Order: sequence, then structure tokens, then C-alpha cells
Amino acid sequence: MLQAGRDLQLLMETLGLRALSFLDTTRRLAAFTLITMGVLATRAGTAHRVIHPLVRTQLVQAGILLLPIVAVVGMALGFAIVGQTLSILTQVGQTSLIGSLFVTVIFRELAPLGAALVVLARVGTPTVVELGTCRALGEVEALEALGIDPVHYLVVPRVVGITLAVVSLTVYLQLFAALSGWVFCFAANLPVSAGDYLGRIAGALHWFDFPVLGLKTLAFGACGSLIACYQGLSRPLRLEEVPGAATRTVAHSVVAFLLLDALFLVITLLLPG
Amino acid sequence: MNTIPVIQLDGVGIRRSDGDVPLIEDVDWTVMAGDWWEITGAHGSGKSALLLALAGLVPTAGGTLTAFGEPVLSGAPKPPGWIPRVGLVFEGGGRLLRDLRVAENIALPTGYHHNCSLPEAVDRVWPWLEALDLERLADAPAGRVGRAWAQRIALARALSLGPEILLLDNPTAGMDPAHTVWWQGFLLRLCQGHPLLQGRPMTLIETTDNPRAAMNSLPRRAHLENGRLIVPGPRTDPV
Repeated sequence: MLQAGRDLQLLMETLGLRALSFLDTTRRLAAFTLITMGVLATRAGTAHRVIHPLVRTQLVQAGILLLPIVAVVGMALGFAIVGQTLSILTQVGQTSLIGSLFVTVIFRELAPLGAALVVLARVGTPTVVELGTCRALGEVEALEALGIDPVHYLVVPRVVGITLAVVSLTVYLQLFAALSGWVFCFAANLPVSAGDYLGRIAGALHWFDFPVLGLKTLAFGACGSLIACYQGLSRPLRLEEVPGAATRTVAHSVVAFLLLDALFLVITLLLPG
Repeated sequence: MNTIPVIQLDGVGIRRSDGDVPLIEDVDWTVMAGDWWEITGAHGSGKSALLLALAGLVPTAGGTLTAFGEPVLSGAPKPPGWIPRVGLVFEGGGRLLRDLRVAENIALPTGYHHNCSLPEAVDRVWPWLEALDLERLADAPAGRVGRAWAQRIALARALSLGPEILLLDNPTAGMDPAHTVWWQGFLLRLCQGHPLLQGRPMTLIETTDNPRAAMNSLPRRAHLENGRLIVPGPRTDPV
């Protein structure tokens, strides 16, 4: 009985410490976000001939170079979800539902989440390693000594570039999923014409899907990139601590994506139509 | 004799980075324009922390620290357009940005503060590369150059903005005699007035933990020991 009580106390202490740690991390991340937004707003025109090429570099790394893998993910989603579901719907004579299904499952949910996860895996983790190493080797202090704001030089280009990349890649992922869904229909000789297929998808879209999708992808991209930059720069790291920071970035970002997804789901459900 | 104080410390203390334990206490020190100071002291005596505090990168613990009559506040936001008047060369390779090339490292501050692209900024700072014999390394990745050359690149980077005060943290540590001689000669030229700085004598504050390196008779010397900066009386010989 006494042992069980001690175990319960230990469990409560552990949970309490975890909860406090979570709240502290959230507070620090919120402060880091506000600082970044402040720098983004106040230094928008400062040194743009140095900062803009850095944004373009991030767009290439997080966007253009990831297009092939996003195409593969989009095609896989199209085959796995649209194609197979359409096959089943054809058997029960409900092909008219394909538009609603595509919009609900792929357009609103899987495409933003898939694009954000691809970017997180391929760019977010290296970002932590780059910035963590930068911090560990004292390059951040070197920038400060030169009067260069480290947030402006290191964080802003990454946040802007990665966020825009997630927005763009989401659109491409949706297009590839729609295309591969139709390819599946064509290959399986299903009785759905291309015009009918696209018409049903277009008919299932509401006006609010576009602003909500834009905000959602912006939130995913900004959240993932800010978490990566925060983990890399927030405190002095020793070189051996950098891999741990990368792991924390993935875990925190996935939790943040799921929370944001739930938030946008509620928003979508509350909207009329 | 120089009469314009550029840096003034009154009762300044600095804490260790890992806690509230004082590292340096109660420093009273005045640096005049055109001075060349060499700060000696054992390893870990706080020489680097003192330089970082002078550059505004480390907060002071009590006392007043002013540069050019303005208080030096660590972490204070800098207004857009602000250009540092104090340059700093870090110890052990100068902390170059490894993802940039040598010339880009030197040009980055110019590009950032004057809003020009890095290729344009490289053109602007090219005279510094020539003055420091760095032309042949211009296109090399900064992370691959040797430590002695990296230190020289960091010097060029710090000079590229034309600072009025240059802080050098143990710049010749671990260097071979040829590089050490070059540094002593170049610092002397800076102190006397380099042509690229329109002949304006530069104020230099250099640290060293190797007393043998402090044999040059020109710099004034201060010594850090037991958390106190021991400053000799006013110098009477002109620089």
C-alpha cells in the first residue's frame, strides 16, 4: 500500500514536471515568435539585398528541391485514397461523393499535413543542426559583434522561405493527388470522365476552403520553422546537444501540427455550408 | 598625448557566464583615442569577458561602462541603420561564418549595413583583402582555411566597417612566428594610421595570455589578476 502510494506520488511528480516543462517551452517559443515577428515587421526593408537572396535559397531548399518527393507523396495519396475509394464508390453507385471525399480528406487535411511533414523532415531537422552548430561555434556572437541582428540574418529568411515553401508544396501535393486519382480511374477503367471527376471536386469546394487552406499552410510552415529555429538558437548548445535539439524539433512540430489541425478543423466546422 | 576618452569604465564588474560569481570586479579604466592597450593575465582570468563587455556582448554587473560617451548596454535593441564603432576579433579562428566564402565573410557586414548585394560588397572591401594578403583565399570556403588565416580574415571583417576601436582577443595565440610578426607589424600600422582608414590612428585593445608575446614596447599594458584590472599610471610617451 505504501509502495503504491509512493509510485502514485512519483507519477504525479513526473507528470507535473512534464507539464511545467511543456508550459515553459510554450512560453519561450511564444516569446521567440514575438521577437521574430517584431524583427520581421521593423526590419522589413533593412538589408534586403542581403536578406532576399537568403530567402530565395531557403525557397529552393525547402520548396523546389522537395518537389519530387512531394510529387511522389501526392501520387501515392491519389492512388491510395482517391483511386481506391472511387473504385468502391463505383461498386455502390455513389461516385458523386468523390468530390466531397477529395476535398475533405486530401484538400483540407492530408495535403497541408503531408507537405508540412515532408518539409519538417527534409529541412526542419537540418535547420536545427545548422543553427545549433552556428550557436555552438559562436557565430551568433560574431554576427552581433558586427551589428548584424542574428534573428534578422538567421531566422527571418528561414521562417519566410520555409513558410512559403509549405504553402506552395501543399498546392502541388493537391494537384498531384488529384492527377493520380484520375490516372487510377483511367487505368482501372472506372466510369468517371475527367470532366465529371474535376467537376465534382470543384463543386465540393467552398469559398472558405481557400482562405482556411492559406492560413493553415502558413501556420504549419511558420510553426515548424519557428520551432526549428528556436531549438537551434534559443540557448547556448554544446555540439553534442545538437542531435537532441533536432529530435525535440520533430516531436514538438508534430504535436504543434496536430493541435493546429484540430483548431482549423473546428474553424471549418463552425463555418456555414 | 591623447586626451579624448573613448571608453570609460567606472567600478565595472563582470560575472561568470555560468552563475553569479564575480569574474572581474570594480574596474576603473579609461581608454583614450589612439591608445594601444595590451591586457595580460592568466588563462581564465577574464580577459575575453572584459573584451566582450566592451563590445556590448556581455552584460556588466554594476558600475558604468561608456563608449564614445554613450552607455554600452548588452542586448539593447539597435535602431535600423546603426553601425558599430567598435570592432571585435574573436579568439581561435575569429568565428567566421562557415557557409560563406572568405570574401563573402569579409563583405557581409558591408553588404548588410549598406544594403548592397554580397558581390558588390566584395568589390567594396577588396582593398582590405589586398592589404591583408587574402586575395588568393577569396573564393575558399571559410570553414576550410587554417586557423591563422581565419584569424586574419576575421581581422579584415572587423576592419571592413572602419571601426574607431578594435578589440582583439588573443589574436596571435598558437600562431607560428611568421604570422605573429605580421600581426605585430599590421597592428602597429593600424595604431599609427592605416591608409585604408584615411590615416586615422585606431584605438586598439588586445588581450594575450602569453607574456612572451607582450614584449613589444609600444602597447600600454594592464594586467588582470584575482578579478582586478591593474592599470599602470598615465603614459607620457606619444604613440
